[in-house]
Amino acid sequence: MGKIINLKIDGKEVRVEEGTNLIDAAQTAGIHIPNLCYLKGMKGIGACRLCLVEMEGGKAPVIACNTKVKEGMSISTNTEKVREVRKFVIDLILSMHPLDCMTCTKAGVCNLQQYAYDFEIKESSFSRKKFGYPVDEANPFIKRDPEYCVLCSRCIRICKAQGTNVLEFSGRGVGAKVVTANDTPLQESTCTFCGNCIDVCPVNAILESDRWRKGREWEYTKTDSVCLSCGNGCSISVSGKDGEVVKINSGSPDGMAERFLCAVGRFGFDSIRSDTRVTVPMKRVDGELKETSWEDAIATLTEKLKAAGPDAAFISSGNILNEDAGLLKKLAADVVQTKNCDSTVSLYSDYDSMNSATADLENADLFVLAGIAPDQWKRVLPALDAIVRKRVNEGAKLIVMHSGEPKIASAANVFMKGDEIKMIEELGQAVISKGVKAPKEMIEALAHINPSDEAMNAADLFAASKSPVILASPSLYKAAANLSLIKGDAVAIPFEANAKGVVMMGMTTEDKKFSDIVSSSTKLLYAVGEMPVKSRPDTGFLVVQNSHMTDLATQADLILPSAGALESEGTIIDYLGRIKQVNKACTPAGESRQNSDIFIAVAEAMGTPLKKAKDTDVKKSVKTKVKVTLSPFRKEKGLDIDAEQFIEDIRTSTVNGSRLLWLKELEKTVAV
Amino acid sequence: MSETPVKDEKPKKDMKDVLAAVETIKCPVQRSLKFVEEFLSEPMCGKCHPCALGSFEAMVRLKRISSGRGTQGDVAAIQRIADEMLEASRCIKGKDTAKFLLNELKTGSFKEHLEGHCGERECLSYIMFKVIPEKCVLCGLCKDACRYNAITGEKKVSYRSGYLPFEIRQKRCVKCGECVPACTYGAIEVIEEKSGVLV
Repeated sequence: MGKIINLKIDGKEVRVEEGTNLIDAAQTAGIHIPNLCYLKGMKGIGACRLCLVEMEGGKAPVIACNTKVKEGMSISTNTEKVREVRKFVIDLILSMHPLDCMTCTKAGVCNLQQYAYDFEIKESSFSRKKFGYPVDEANPFIKRDPEYCVLCSRCIRICKAQGTNVLEFSGRGVGAKVVTANDTPLQESTCTFCGNCIDVCPVNAILESDRWRKGREWEYTKTDSVCLSCGNGCSISVSGKDGEVVKINSGSPDGMAERFLCAVGRFGFDSIRSDTRVTVPMKRVDGELKETSWEDAIATLTEKLKAAGPDAAFISSGNILNEDAGLLKKLAADVVQTKNCDSTVSLYSDYDSMNSATADLENADLFVLAGIAPDQWKRVLPALDAIVRKRVNEGAKLIVMHSGEPKIASAANVFMKGDEIKMIEELGQAVISKGVKAPKEMIEALAHINPSDEAMNAADLFAASKSPVILASPSLYKAAANLSLIKGDAVAIPFEANAKGVVMMGMTTEDKKFSDIVSSSTKLLYAVGEMPVKSRPDTGFLVVQNSHMTDLATQADLILPSAGALESEGTIIDYLGRIKQVNKACTPAGESRQNSDIFIAVAEAMGTPLKKAKDTDVKKSVKTKVKVTLSPFRKEKGLDIDAEQFIEDIRTSTVNGSRLLWLKELEKTVAV
Repeated sequence: MSETPVKDEKPKKDMKDVLAAVETIKCPVQRSLKFVEEFLSEPMCGKCHPCALGSFEAMVRLKRISSGRGTQGDVAAIQRIADEMLEASRCIKGKDTAKFLLNELKTGSFKEHLEGHCGERECLSYIMFKVIPEKCVLCGLCKDACRYNAITGEKKVSYRSGYLPFEIRQKRCVKCGECVPACTYGAIEVIEEKSGVLV
């Protein structure tokens, strides 16, 4: 926390932190200073001039978006003079903006509409300007209609900040237009269709392409939830109408680097209504899958489970909810009494690394990426890529350690290419050689290392940093966390949204690991969620519990339809160890049920009833404070998986069942 | 990401060039119009709305006045644009443009234009060229001088009765004024379009 500054806004006493700008300061006092171009969390550019305010003792009005609070200052936000300026600017913008609010999708949440109302401008007093720009709507994600653009450049700035850099102005003044390179349609540009420009557009110029006549903002019921498509577990805000999901926006607070969603999180929701959904239980009869009732399905399962006993095995994906994971473990260990119960997490991580502590990405001044390659373009942990790039654009430093050539290396201050363990050791030794305090054992352990020039450069950044954050792949976590003994925090980055939760809820094996279970012979295999297993493992009876008909499900003996991500309720623990609430945005399709309800029904049929997990159970299981101790500088063996392939596998149903398939096909054609 | 449009290229013209361009123009409306057009063509950066959108609108209004279709509303709009641009523009260029417009507005010439007078006879749509029949000797020199074939008429031949008088076809006339010195008898004069009064 910085120093607290006292100032007066419209006569109200306001106390805010040093460095706050006037718009944010006024917001804390409930005063809205009009603006079109201000983007919270970014430097004000003063283009729209709507935020002009008068300062006591100041000669001319100042822009509130780029003026920092000063002790004792007194500002008036609504004087005659600034009202006239605001009216003038809105009047000018309206002269080049279609006046079709009655059919405009953005009505109700359009800033321009609001200000026109506030300043009593029915229509512009200036001459009408019309440009006849074509609408870019050839893709199923984002529609861009330059006719509505108010030239605030928010989309351009957000696109640049997160490193995608697709949009730019062409021309100046009235003739300016937001374009891609060479003014091509989005799909021919380097656009990743993350849609973050949609979130920031104050008007109807950039919008989800299928929003037309799907209701306006005031008709929606909003549900805060979490995207479970990859290890980032981004917060989402789901808008629903008549029980259907209409759109998804980022759910993180305004102004945070975390406020990001990728195309999968924003547009993948189509898949909950796709043809590949399984909505009724199915049983293999005479070699063919036939629909059946829940009673029959559970009776069949109970019989098989009883017969298999300790020879049964349970596997789950790493993005089932905490409550579901806790119950699944109990079902396996207490009811069926088997020791073979594991999740896909063990494919890429050891259990200890998943207990890793938290870190503050928003205030970190140095990022060290060890062995991970977040990539927005390949949609591998895209949010992490965007967060790091945004923070780097704001002045944070970045060190990338990777044996390959990750795209994020181009944004790095120092790229240490080579074996990650060696790089970690070199950086450690280099930092120690700069005279930074480190534990004695570590100094001894690294004494034999001779750091390279790159390591010395990186060490300069590390030594100068106040709050470094080390983001490591799970297999490197223990080694990388050693650096956090010098300073900063280290976290392991899993590939699945609730990997940490699943492990903390006890979905860990006492006998065979996931890879052993699927490669060895079992009497019964109970697979929950989407996992990178395509062909049927050697098992006497295969039960697949999933929301979609996956390759594995087509080979199952019994399919139990579970609710999709937006149809379930519970919690997850994200990669930063935070508990995030997952809420139900729509009712489960058909007869599908949430995982935990199925487990409870099975347990009851087995004669050992289980109770639903409570919030406190989850909280108890989460170890937020993990003490890092010096570990050997060693990579965990057997955890090398292709992150891109893995993430693609676990979201196959989401992609194939939604408009993302269009993008996948497009990328395939471009790649050829 | 390679071919993003080049930005922040240094403008070739600056505000001094804009001022130089209007130096020889005397009519306040024409001066303002030229000033704003020159300003929009290069020095305007387009980084803030009051100046970027305001000066464009000022140009639209000035063109209207200059073409003789101006109204009170146009003058009021220019006044408002100049006032607000001076207040709200981000940089000195916008403020200078606003000051220039305000100075020109002070001359009162804008209002005169609404009544159909262009004191400096530079607003071409306010004037027309006319052959005064009483002074014309039917020599045809003006017709030869006109490059736009805007003058009709027949040279007087002494043995023929009847003649086709020399006249200027207003639709073709571009008001270049070259016929005026060509007439040695001073028979071509400039009159105000609206009132028909000699100027």
